Amino acid sequence: MKEFEMREAGQDKNLRAKVGVYICECGPNIAGKVDLDKIIADLSQLDDYQDVELVVKKYGFLCSGPGKEFLEEEIRSNGYTHLVVGACSPRDHDSTFMGVCKKTDLNPYLYRIINIREHCTWVIDDKEKATEKAFSYIRGGISRVLRQSELFEKPLDINPDVLVIGGGIAGMEAALSLSGEDRRVFLVEKTDHLGGISLDLSGLLPGQGEIIKNKIDSVTEDKNIRLFLNTSVETVIGFLGNFEIELVSIENAETTDIMAGAIVVATGSSLFDPGESAHLSYSESDEVYTSLSVEKMFSGEGEARLRSGKKPSSVALIHCVGREEKNYCSGICCSYMMKLAGFFRNQSPDIQVTEFYRDLCLPQKDDQERYTEAEAAGVEFVRIKDISIKGTEVSFEKMNSKKSEQSFDMVVLAPAIVPSADTEELADLLTVPLDESGFFQEVHKMTNPVGTSTDGVFIVGTAHGPKGVSDSMQFARASAGQILTRLIPGEKLIPEVKVTEILEAYCTGCGNCLDVCVYGAIYSDDSRGISVVNEAVCRGCGNCYGSCPSGALRTKHFTNTQLYREVDEALR
Amino acid sequence: MTDSELKGAVLPALKKPGGAVRDFLRLAMEKELADAVILPMKVPSGDSFAWILMNDISLLDDAVPIAATMPVQGAKALRSLTRKGPGNLKIIAVMRPCEIRAAMELSKLGQVHPENLILATYDCPGAVQLQKYVDDPAGSEEYFAGMLQKGKPDDSAKPVCHTCENFSMFDSDIHFGYLGLSEKEVLVIPGSEKGSALLEGLGLDLTKDLQAWEKGIDQLKADKLNSRKSTFEETKAQLNGFNGLLSVFANCIGCHNCQSACPICYCRLCYFDSETAEQDPDALITAAEKRGGISLPVDRIMFHTGRMAHMSLSCVSCGQCSDACPVSIPVADVFSYVADQTQRTFEYTAGRNDGDPLPLRQFRKAELPGVHELVKDADAEVPSHE
Repeated sequence: MKEFEMREAGQDKNLRAKVGVYICECGPNIAGKVDLDKIIADLSQLDDYQDVELVVKKYGFLCSGPGKEFLEEEIRSNGYTHLVVGACSPRDHDSTFMGVCKKTDLNPYLYRIINIREHCTWVIDDKEKATEKAFSYIRGGISRVLRQSELFEKPLDINPDVLVIGGGIAGMEAALSLSGEDRRVFLVEKTDHLGGISLDLSGLLPGQGEIIKNKIDSVTEDKNIRLFLNTSVETVIGFLGNFEIELVSIENAETTDIMAGAIVVATGSSLFDPGESAHLSYSESDEVYTSLSVEKMFSGEGEARLRSGKKPSSVALIHCVGREEKNYCSGICCSYMMKLAGFFRNQSPDIQVTEFYRDLCLPQKDDQERYTEAEAAGVEFVRIKDISIKGTEVSFEKMNSKKSEQSFDMVVLAPAIVPSADTEELADLLTVPLDESGFFQEVHKMTNPVGTSTDGVFIVGTAHGPKGVSDSMQFARASAGQILTRLIPGEKLIPEVKVTEILEAYCTGCGNCLDVCVYGAIYSDDSRGISVVNEAVCRGCGNCYGSCPSGALRTKHFTNTQLYREVDEALR
Repeated sequence: MTDSELKGAVLPALKKPGGAVRDFLRLAMEKELADAVILPMKVPSGDSFAWILMNDISLLDDAVPIAATMPVQGAKALRSLTRKGPGNLKIIAVMRPCEIRAAMELSKLGQVHPENLILATYDCPGAVQLQKYVDDPAGSEEYFAGMLQKGKPDDSAKPVCHTCENFSMFDSDIHFGYLGLSEKEVLVIPGSEKGSALLEGLGLDLTKDLQAWEKGIDQLKADKLNSRKSTFEETKAQLNGFNGLLSVFANCIGCHNCQSACPICYCRLCYFDSETAEQDPDALITAAEKRGGISLPVDRIMFHTGRMAHMSLSCVSCGQCSDACPVSIPVADVFSYVADQTQRTFEYTAGRNDGDPLPLRQFRKAELPGVHELVKDADAEVPSHE
């Protein structure tokens, strides 16, 4: 049980090693700010370790083509057992130099990059101090690298097939982008038909109805897409390349087991219930409608009528319903409300349309134009601070604090887009966190909005957050792009190597690690009363390592011994 | 503390509260509502107690349900019995409230499985310090009789008993109350569905309202809270700054008895006993060179602060650590004070059985801005690097 400790501790003594230390000048970035010759001379004279030979050199730009070739040749000809590179942030070039090691016999996990550019030369003006700090850091790096262990990549076979959850516009688009001769798509939809919310929107834009109908036909006809209607996802176990999924029929509870390499979540959203808003009071019989029901009127009958059967002569379009309660802007309502205003004006130019809004959000390229047109066509835009609606009586306070009241024939509400009802349950199943608004949490808002913390699970369409048809389709294509480049039929996948291991003899099964693991990589083995790490799912974040009071966990390449000894030396 | 609508059943207490508890357990075993009980029993030498798991009714006569001192924390006994699962036996354990609270913490940590246990507590007057008891069992029994009479600790008790605010019913299945009542009766109060079912099975009617008992508890609690406040002030002054902390633990001999006696320290191997926690000799020499001198071995203060970081959120202030310390360091005073702070930070009370997860296992975004305020409030001294 003490094997790894002994191994690491043993390396303190009788260690025969030849460590190459290479310092990148990074042009003037490093060379101009520290006394490199002094660092090299001081490091060369270190006698911290018996039987450790240090070779210290510098080079102009180690990350350049010639630089990499130089380093590769040096590793080969000197037969280094360990390598330390003093250069820039590991975020920039850690993988570059690991790549160089991989071309030689040196195991890439016996190399360490030390960030002397961002940590020393860019932040310290005093050359002497910068030199001293850079020296300490490299010395720490040498201490650490001597305690590092070889790690080996274990390529895994992959399954290129994909599960798409949700048969709306985003799900269909993802399925169509992904299906192919060597890749099947399982498309699961909980209702009895494809199309989702987009069916209710059809007819609003010229040709849109056709587009959606064609998509449904394409999906239905695609022999590489296996369609499961009236079906939901029961269990999901696995990781990128290898998910085991159990589907269950909503009609007869029959289950189907499938295997897939990736999962696309396209479960859509629902609308904020206006009844929850404190600003609104109305009953079923009042002439108050949601934007979606008015869209349905236009797409079906081609015109809007009141419950009495009469045509409205004045319409209030209320933006931002639920924004205060939900604390976010849904981003698409302004644009479709202006579209609706256009439809009312087309139906009859006599209909007086007034739009009440808190802020206008016009992100799409033709939104501004539509706004100008609507205003020119006589649609009244009223910016409000506060509003309350009783039936079709609208009381509002303008930005200049002027309070007014107005009565309309028809009131149309634009409710906020909210997560669909089963989002939480599905998130739990997929071990994907939810954001503050309750939508699925992406890896990064800007750089990877379709990825999630569970590698292999992607979110598209409004399951990710409020968005329109076109953005939903783009998200779907983006997820397909990521899957197509990562799950290539016949190729293997290399899982994270720097994973956490559990030392069974120390583990008491308290479950701390299990609760703090955001990747769902740890499970409890009740029969043995211990926790177990699924190395294929583990991303090596180290949360569990920090949570374990007894040191039964160890994140490879980031062990306490490695970290402490590096810090010891850096602070020496 | 308790719901005022709650009622209890009355047990005759001719043989003092402990006798009433024993009669209750005998009845439960005779009616086969419990397969076994866990109670303290005097060890043969007579100078201490041990936990005995008994299914033989005749052994009850020798048991001491309310023992004068607390040699092994009861939660450790429960852990040894249920750490792999709840088992099939229905067992009643009568323990001090701090022992049950520790068991609750251990159950959240997967170390105790209380499903088939019926956990019973009593109005705890405090426990005589272990060393005092071992030195003078007869005298200690007299002290304890006095404590039981008044319901509160005297000088022979552990220091933490004087500041204990959770000395009575606290999320147990059954509670035996006697404070504020006549000497002739003991109240038995159900605290859970399990407890209610047991009382019903025994045919005990819940006829007595709890006001007199609750009044007795509240009065004592007010006294204890005052004492808690002033003691914590003293501890705070003592621990002032890093040097204060160092001086409190200066005579630590590194035996780690406090950790072995602690019911919460559930690790198979303490991190601070592992090789990883040992310092590199080389680094020690360098440190000595740099500072001019260092105390050896160096890991003592790290051990205590590290243990604090690991378990203070679950610390139930039972005082076992102080009893176990051979060099009389007031370990429990320090840990109790720190636990009070850390638990308040996370609005958590160790030992509650309310489904609240352990604070370190959940992340609440709202906690983040609070850190700054806390540091300001605590008037913390930030050590300078210069």
